[in-house]
Amino acid sequence: MSKERTSRMRSRRAWRGIAGVAAGVLLAGGGLAVANASTVGETKAAAVKRPVDKNAKGVAAVVSAANAFLNTLDSDQQTSTVLDFSQANATAWSNLPCGSSCRPGIGFGTLTDDQLAAAEHVLKVALGSGKDTGYEHVLQTLKADDVLAAAEASGSDSTGTSAEPTDSASTSASESASDSASDSASDSAEPADSASDTASDSADPSASASATDLPTGTPPSGGAGGSGGGPGGFSYGSGSYYLAFLGTPSADGTWQLHFGGHHLAVNITYKDGKVAGASPFFTGVEPTSWTADDGTTYAPLAKFRDGLLKVTGSLSTGQLAEAKLSESFGDVLLGPGQDGKFPETKEGVKVGELSPKQQKLVLAAIHPWVADVDDATADRLMKTYAKELSQTYVAYSGGTGLDTQGDYVRIDGPGVWIEFVCQNGVVYRDQIHYHTVYRDHTRDYGSEFSFS
Amino acid sequence: MTGPRNWLTAALTRLVAGIAIAVPAALLLGASPAAAHPMPHSVVQLDVHQTSVNATLELPTGEFAVASGIDLSDSTKAGLAGKAPSVRAYLARHIRPATTSGTAWRVTIGALSLGRTEQTSTGPYRELVAEAVLTPPADADVRHFSFGYDVIVHQVVTHVVLVTVRQDWAAGQVDGRGTTQVGTIRIDTRTMKVPALKVDLGAGSAWRGFLAMLDLGGDHILTGTDHLLFLLILLLPAPLAVRGRRWEGLVGPRAALGRIGRITLAFTAGHSVALAATALGRPAIPAWPVEAFIAASILVGAVHAIRPLFPGREAVVAGVFGLGHGMAFSFVLVEMHLSTGQLVTSLLGFNLGIELVQLLLVGLALPSLLVLARLRVQPTLRLTAAALTGTAALGWLVDRLGRPNPVARAADGAGSHTTALLTGLAVTALASAAWTLTTRRRTSAADPAEPQLGQEDRMASVP
Repeated sequence: MSKERTSRMRSRRAWRGIAGVAAGVLLAGGGLAVANASTVGETKAAAVKRPVDKNAKGVAAVVSAANAFLNTLDSDQQTSTVLDFSQANATAWSNLPCGSSCRPGIGFGTLTDDQLAAAEHVLKVALGSGKDTGYEHVLQTLKADDVLAAAEASGSDSTGTSAEPTDSASTSASESASDSASDSASDSAEPADSASDTASDSADPSASASATDLPTGTPPSGGAGGSGGGPGGFSYGSGSYYLAFLGTPSADGTWQLHFGGHHLAVNITYKDGKVAGASPFFTGVEPTSWTADDGTTYAPLAKFRDGLLKVTGSLSTGQLAEAKLSESFGDVLLGPGQDGKFPETKEGVKVGELSPKQQKLVLAAIHPWVADVDDATADRLMKTYAKELSQTYVAYSGGTGLDTQGDYVRIDGPGVWIEFVCQNGVVYRDQIHYHTVYRDHTRDYGSEFSFS
Repeated sequence: MTGPRNWLTAALTRLVAGIAIAVPAALLLGASPAAAHPMPHSVVQLDVHQTSVNATLELPTGEFAVASGIDLSDSTKAGLAGKAPSVRAYLARHIRPATTSGTAWRVTIGALSLGRTEQTSTGPYRELVAEAVLTPPADADVRHFSFGYDVIVHQVVTHVVLVTVRQDWAAGQVDGRGTTQVGTIRIDTRTMKVPALKVDLGAGSAWRGFLAMLDLGGDHILTGTDHLLFLLILLLPAPLAVRGRRWEGLVGPRAALGRIGRITLAFTAGHSVALAATALGRPAIPAWPVEAFIAASILVGAVHAIRPLFPGREAVVAGVFGLGHGMAFSFVLVEMHLSTGQLVTSLLGFNLGIELVQLLLVGLALPSLLVLARLRVQPTLRLTAAALTGTAALGWLVDRLGRPNPVARAADGAGSHTTALLTGLAVTALASAAWTLTTRRRTSAADPAEPQLGQEDRMASVP
């Protein structure tokens, strides 16, 4: 009887084995078929060439550059570059070096030289041409991240790296005290507030799971010209910047140029052949200045900082008292995920109460942020902000030197919103670094979304 | 009976979940800096009890100083002690839980300590850890409340507070490893006010607490190598007979089974009694003498496996040493600060979990124990196992007496390979069963009238 049972079991096992093999064959065959089908689709899609017009002006020139870039991509790359102009995609940006886990688009680290040149040309046409603003400013931000990558790769001692910060010795570039937080909870996920705003952030499991640990010590993968972070990986370096077109670029439709990475988020919204919004624009930098191998000294945010220093430096004791905020700041108030959450009450000193000379300084201080879009749009926006200047407020917290952790300046008008804050360095820990954000109360994302 | 199935399902789920978490975690750890705020945030961990909530606050001292005006850069004990009253007063002003209808809870700030820690992308920084007890008015719901809290946030308006639950018995969260996020507290930038966090911990029930404790009990014996090792080493010579002062010959399967049953039962009785007594009586017993006693018990067991020390009285020894093991089990329960009602339920669940897994493991070890005793290599195997166990026990003993050492670390580490352990036991059990079947068939084929094991088997096992 037991023999009978075993033989029955044996035959059952054999059948199960055969079924397993059959299923495997089916799966593999199916996979092959699907793969074949997608290859067919690929060749078809790649055949579509988008129109390029070298003589185009204005938005048409941006569209032409975008098309020229898209024409260098295969269909898979195009699919990850041209995305829906949805609120989730548009608001998916961050100041953090969280690679592709917190922002959509195609990674610069994955592009060939030709593709990269075409992508950079898009930025050149879309962003302003002023010195240290626009395209130049963005390129410097990427260079700063290569400096960070090199500093991290070389461990605690950044001497001998290609670039070194000019101010103060970088003794503790990256302390690798690997003592992790006492409990997994304190690491568990960066506070994903109000899920609706940071939809893609909080929805992405890798983003929340990733907050595991070890900011320092482990050398990031993205070296100079970076290999780009792996999926969900976190790394410094110019390879970890991502470009996306939300909506199809066109001279008369609605779409957004979405570009960013660590310390950078560019959001330019085009509507009916015009720029409907050049914000939110996050720009920060660490180190604040450095000298490259060729002797060039870079300080991407010096111009931004100096404009604000001139404003606060011009304030009288009484005006300073009025401008002083009672709160303290460790970061910008309206960073990623804080869309539409402008304070209902403006604080600080009213620009309308300042002297004409001081008012000019305020307008000049706004300019570097606005100048990160094409010159014509920047002029238009500056005119608006000039008109609203008397209803605009200047406020500060901490010291006015913009050289100490917690030093903070804000310009808040009917339209414009600019914040500049000093934070202790993350890689260069004995220095401060800057976070800034430019928003517009009504024009963020081209007024396409409403935030409750 | 749902007990074992529940436990097994839980164990399997945990295994799968463990792999699912471990793999990406390993990948990410290898990857490099992860996403988080460059500025550290506060963490509030809640331990939800029957009539109160314990909160552990982890506050970065830099932000704390800015917000409270209290400088904690002097990290000495005396430095902190001097500032403790003002720290407590500040915290009490900014922790204001209330019932859903708005009646304030009572807040007591307990122990304070300073340490160094690190969050993703922040680099190392110093933190203040504060314990607080939040008590609702009598009869008010402890599982639904409005958590008014603006420590640091009232001043550093960009600061964020992560609120998590670390222990919630009635929701079945007891093992102290995972935490669940309740929400975040940060300023509403529109109004520049900090809204209270609505805390809703669901219904909760004693049944979920019981199941969680069942799981915890099973897990505890499975991963606590010392308890298991004591029992197994005591069972190892059970099928052997004593001749003079040596283990020699076999006592026969029925007698062996009887011994194994008595030893296991006595161990169970011993640790159950001690567990119940110490958990309910809550005497303040320091852990190290108990742990040392356990290590000593294993050492005695190992020596006994080499040379019979107390032949025939194994059950008594198992019972007596079982008392020590039971006390160690009770530490797990005492640490949870449960109310008496929860404690009784926990005791049942926890002990049942322990017994079920112990039964499973003894059951798995049983065929091997019986078969190994009859193999020619039995003495070698027994002596090797006893030597290994004895070494581990010595390592533990030295460690528990205040000298940490690699032997103890390695022995403790063995407890984390539960899958390998279970697989190993299952495979040897199967092999032993197969071996028994084939030898029995061979003997019965040779002499169908012989119901018992052949004499030559017995002879073969004598060295």
